[in-house]
Amino acid sequence: MTPAKFKILFALALLLETSLVLAHHSFPAQYDINQQITLSGTVTEVQWTNPHIFIHIDVKDEESGETRNWILELGGPNALLRLGWKRDSLKPDDLVIVEGSLARNGSALVNATSITMAETGRTMLAGSSRE
Amino acid sequence: MIELIQFKRLFIITLMVIATCPATAQWIGYPTSDVPRLADGSVNMEAPTPRMANGMPDLSGIWISDNTRPGEPTPSDGFSLSSSRLMTNMGADMPDGLPYQDWLIPIVKEHTDNLAINDPHIRCIPDNFLRAYGLPHMLKFVHTPDLLVVMNEMNAGYRQVFLDARALPDDPAPSFQGYSSASWSGDTLVIETIGVRNDTWIDWNGSVLTEQAKVREEMRRLDYGHLEIKVTVDDPAAYTKPWSVTLKQRLVVDAELIDEICLENERFVEHMNLPY
Repeated sequence: MTPAKFKILFALALLLETSLVLAHHSFPAQYDINQQITLSGTVTEVQWTNPHIFIHIDVKDEESGETRNWILELGGPNALLRLGWKRDSLKPDDLVIVEGSLARNGSALVNATSITMAETGRTMLAGSSRE
Repeated sequence: MIELIQFKRLFIITLMVIATCPATAQWIGYPTSDVPRLADGSVNMEAPTPRMANGMPDLSGIWISDNTRPGEPTPSDGFSLSSSRLMTNMGADMPDGLPYQDWLIPIVKEHTDNLAINDPHIRCIPDNFLRAYGLPHMLKFVHTPDLLVVMNEMNAGYRQVFLDARALPDDPAPSFQGYSSASWSGDTLVIETIGVRNDTWIDWNGSVLTEQAKVREEMRRLDYGHLEIKVTVDDPAAYTKPWSVTLKQRLVVDAELIDEICLENERFVEHMNLPY
């Protein structure tokens, strides 16, 4: 990689750091940034809606064999479009790996930080709010 | 060791950038015309202030908060959104904070303590212009000799500032943006606003304006890429004395507004089991 290209990528990385500061509501009221979770599951529903996008995924507990449907909260469509998403970037039956913060109320709700497509390994930032 | 961790973190983010770069949509990234650039291709944010045919500064453009946190990047591209460090507390830079009237002190404390779960913004109520300057949503200024229109992508909102120095209404019906009339003082646009609604939140802590508020904005486009707005609020119903704050905006290029219509699917109140 040439120094110029590295500079550009480095700058873009910094820009995306800023992109994480998206906000519609007070993040700490709903989510606990100290409770990070990784989920692997199958997309069952995509709500490409304002002000935030919601993705539902089925996650199977390997020990109990039970499947639980989790709700992932992402940034809004305008934020995700600016991050490079398309409205059909995720579809039902897609296998995904999700990083995010758990809801404080113990429900199956996560504020997603990133979503990785299991098939391709492509990781997409989720426009997570931290404020 | 810390540097190594930071490098690994940036490397991971860089990989994410590579993964997300190929996709473009709508008018995201559509090139803004007549952008002054430096030799390295970056935007020359310190280039001279654009001017209208009548010689006055042209305030047109898409703007985002530039009251950034220490060390925060200040890109001029249309791919990232920054918010103001004053977004939570408009008086954060004041040694004694905002001069609240006694009745307002416990209300602000409650909102601060409960992390603003009763914020009208969460319930999709339009944001007043003072608050909009600090939220991570793009504002588009459309400036003509007689009118300044500020479009807010949040809730597809708008604000009109009449530039004919018209008299403000005597008994205005309160509105979310109030009534704004302006005139030039040299290169500074002086905007006077009255007639906002009671309990208009201006930050996350629940600092408010009331119907008695008189707001003055002294707006200057310092150069190509920076807008400075000295705000003075005189609202004796909410504050013991007038106070001032300087709000900064940064131009973003190759960007366009994308609607964020909050009422479409707001779920915070439901997930938190809160009353509407």
